Amino acid sequence: MSAPPKDPAQAHVQLTGVTKRYGGVTALDNVDFSCELGSVHAVLGENGAGKSTLIKIMSGVVQPDEGEIRLDGRLASFSHPAAANAQGIVCIFQELSLLPDLSVADNISISDPPRRFGLIDAKAQRRRAEELLARIGCEDLNPMSRVRDLPLSRRQMVEIAKALAKNPNVLILDEATSALTAADVDTVFEILRRLRDDGISILTISHRMHEIEAIADKCSVFRNGKHIETFQQGARSEGEIVQMMIGREITAHFPPKPPPPDSAEPMLELKKYSWEDRLKSIDLTVGAGEIVGLGGLDGQGQKELLLGLFGVLKGTSGQVIVQGNEVDINSPQDAKKAGVDLALIPEDRKTEGLMLPMSIADNLTIASLKRLSRGIFVDADAMTAAIEDGIQRMQIKVGSSADAVSTLSGGNQQKVVIAKWLMTEPKIVLLNDPTRGIDVGTKQEIYRLLRSLAETGASIVYYSTDYEELIGCCDRVAVMYDGEIVRELQGDEINERNIIASALKMDEAAQ
Amino acid sequence: MTTSAPEPATSRLKISEDNKPIVMSAGFIVVILAVGTMYTLYTQGTATLLSPEYLLQQLQVGAFLGIVAAGMMLVILLGHIDLSIPWTIAAGAMMATTVGGPMAIPVGLGVGLLVGLVNGLGVAYLRIPSMIFTLGVNAVMRGLMVAHTGGFAPQTAATDLMQYLAVGKILGIPVALLVWAVVSMGVMLLLQRTAVGKSIYAIGNKEAAAYLAGVPTKWVIVSAFCLCGMLAGLSGTLLAGYSTKAYQGMGDAYLLPAIAAVVIGGTHILGGRGRYLGTLIGVILIVLLNSVLSIMQMPESGRQIIYGTVIIVMLLVYGRGRKVTS
Repeated sequence: MSAPPKDPAQAHVQLTGVTKRYGGVTALDNVDFSCELGSVHAVLGENGAGKSTLIKIMSGVVQPDEGEIRLDGRLASFSHPAAANAQGIVCIFQELSLLPDLSVADNISISDPPRRFGLIDAKAQRRRAEELLARIGCEDLNPMSRVRDLPLSRRQMVEIAKALAKNPNVLILDEATSALTAADVDTVFEILRRLRDDGISILTISHRMHEIEAIADKCSVFRNGKHIETFQQGARSEGEIVQMMIGREITAHFPPKPPPPDSAEPMLELKKYSWEDRLKSIDLTVGAGEIVGLGGLDGQGQKELLLGLFGVLKGTSGQVIVQGNEVDINSPQDAKKAGVDLALIPEDRKTEGLMLPMSIADNLTIASLKRLSRGIFVDADAMTAAIEDGIQRMQIKVGSSADAVSTLSGGNQQKVVIAKWLMTEPKIVLLNDPTRGIDVGTKQEIYRLLRSLAETGASIVYYSTDYEELIGCCDRVAVMYDGEIVRELQGDEINERNIIASALKMDEAAQ
Repeated sequence: MTTSAPEPATSRLKISEDNKPIVMSAGFIVVILAVGTMYTLYTQGTATLLSPEYLLQQLQVGAFLGIVAAGMMLVILLGHIDLSIPWTIAAGAMMATTVGGPMAIPVGLGVGLLVGLVNGLGVAYLRIPSMIFTLGVNAVMRGLMVAHTGGFAPQTAATDLMQYLAVGKILGIPVALLVWAVVSMGVMLLLQRTAVGKSIYAIGNKEAAAYLAGVPTKWVIVSAFCLCGMLAGLSGTLLAGYSTKAYQGMGDAYLLPAIAAVVIGGTHILGGRGRYLGTLIGVILIVLLNSVLSIMQMPESGRQIIYGTVIIVMLLVYGRGRKVTS
């Protein structure tokens, strides 16, 4: 609480003792942080380190539970993003926020269009767009063109122009370059440098180390919601930065891993598996009884890989070989057919895993209705038995299986999702971040379950944003970066240093 | 309003969220009958409304609406709606009388099924919102029927079997009521005892979750629309039997009451929740309300106002206790 900035005159935005909790999870823990005008400040940290929460608090998207924000020394609070904007703090979020069917000029002035007689002044709006685009060196961009027709990199420029329309003192970029090609990144950086020289404070989140080296004046590392250290760019080596990002905290216990089998027969093989530009020629083999983790930063294609395998994505290419036969999976129905026997524990149990208002029993059996039917009718006895079995097997704490599944705790809900799929007797289980937002006890039950499933010969593909889980659970970890598997780690190689280094694509640092 | 609760199925002391509308509608039916009876006792000195003849006659009239509502419920449970009902009914009736002979009824059902199939394919595969797509199909069917009949009432008459099913009686019980009972049994079994039924609820609650659980969502949606269309065709066939012939616009009076019956019976208009028993009671409520209002010689304008108000008020009352789940 009492850490004063090193040079109070220069700190433009000053956070003191800021804490933010989501339910039982502390996303930011007593964080002091400041940024100055006229500099580019990079924020580093792995998934869940608290970077996004920091940005959301600064830009008024969420409110801190504790702590204070000072702007130029004055106490400030932002109840919503517009309030932060009014104070000169503008954020460019990861997802493009442009409306594709409106023109560039419309988008740039969307929150505060110039008015005349109460109506939008199209001419003034167009002039304003032209000025702003000229400021970022995009004079060639026609303000009247539809955003939908622009390539991604140009849209990003429009996004920046839109942010500048709000006259920011602090410009926050949340992975704003992740969608851009190298040449576009250079252009953006050129603009950012110019803005910095104009005295704007720029705060950037990026996972690309070389970009941070190119643009940042200062770096701050976050880990587990805590601000670890802030240093001048170049003062620390990449290795030191990785070390800072890792930390050393063991919070979960994992079942022991068996020694690697000599030659597990492959259960699932992918050859040159691709989808649009999100999955690039992926080769992956998963043996029977093996738990293979998918690592890497969020959004590098891990989810797409799982969804694609499960038949949800249209237009995948490459070979998928399951249990020795090449298969063509075009829908979840195909995926759970005999001979394929896939199961997917989806990412969001509330919208993808469960029908929340329906009963526990209905949710448990929905994937197995065919199996539980005799003729056209559902076999009531078989159903009751299956429901009891599922509840037993996952030790779901339920009052009555007729209760709505929404009455269960998060951990128990997730158990219902898993039990639903175990009922189909899958041979390959795909898990998409299954332990997110659930308690430690249930997490450990899930780890044990995965291991025991593997021991019965099932194959498991496990995507987790929690590196500790990958290290603790997996026999092998395939680290993905930008739609490719950049490295497969095995045995003792599976450690946080290697995963993070590969995830950031800086192999040298790991050596 | 909820003085009596003739709904015992899961009669715990606390009435569950799903059963509340059913109990309330049943209570309201009692209120309607009581008010109507007081009126007749006062004006005629008889309790006509409580006589078995009157009640059976109401159920017979209700059968046509009930059969339509049964199909509509399947579609509403999915979170969709079928606005092509009016001209599906008319088309079923007209084609049945046109063909005549032993094939009349199968043709009536077949026409409905076909319309339902088109609806289902459009909604499930083309992903056009059902509200728009079925409205369009309704207009197309209307055009086709006008072209078919030249804009006049068809001269063909309903077959004897159609008339028997609509107005005949077995042991004093209207055959139409029996047809409705058979349809109801079928729908109830479908919803409670089959994979398709369970899938309908699942899709209505969260289509994405159902899809990811490997439920053949498209197939289920198409099936539900097919059944809805076929039941509308059946209802049209019976209606033609009831009035001995088919005529333009004969289905127009059934769309809103069918939706109202389903929703008054407690089926969530956005899908996923509702019991068939509720739909049955909703149909009876609407039929009795209409009948009692006309017995009380309420002018048409007043009837419409009361009728609409009752629907809105009942839905408001249901909505109140319901948790908002986002």
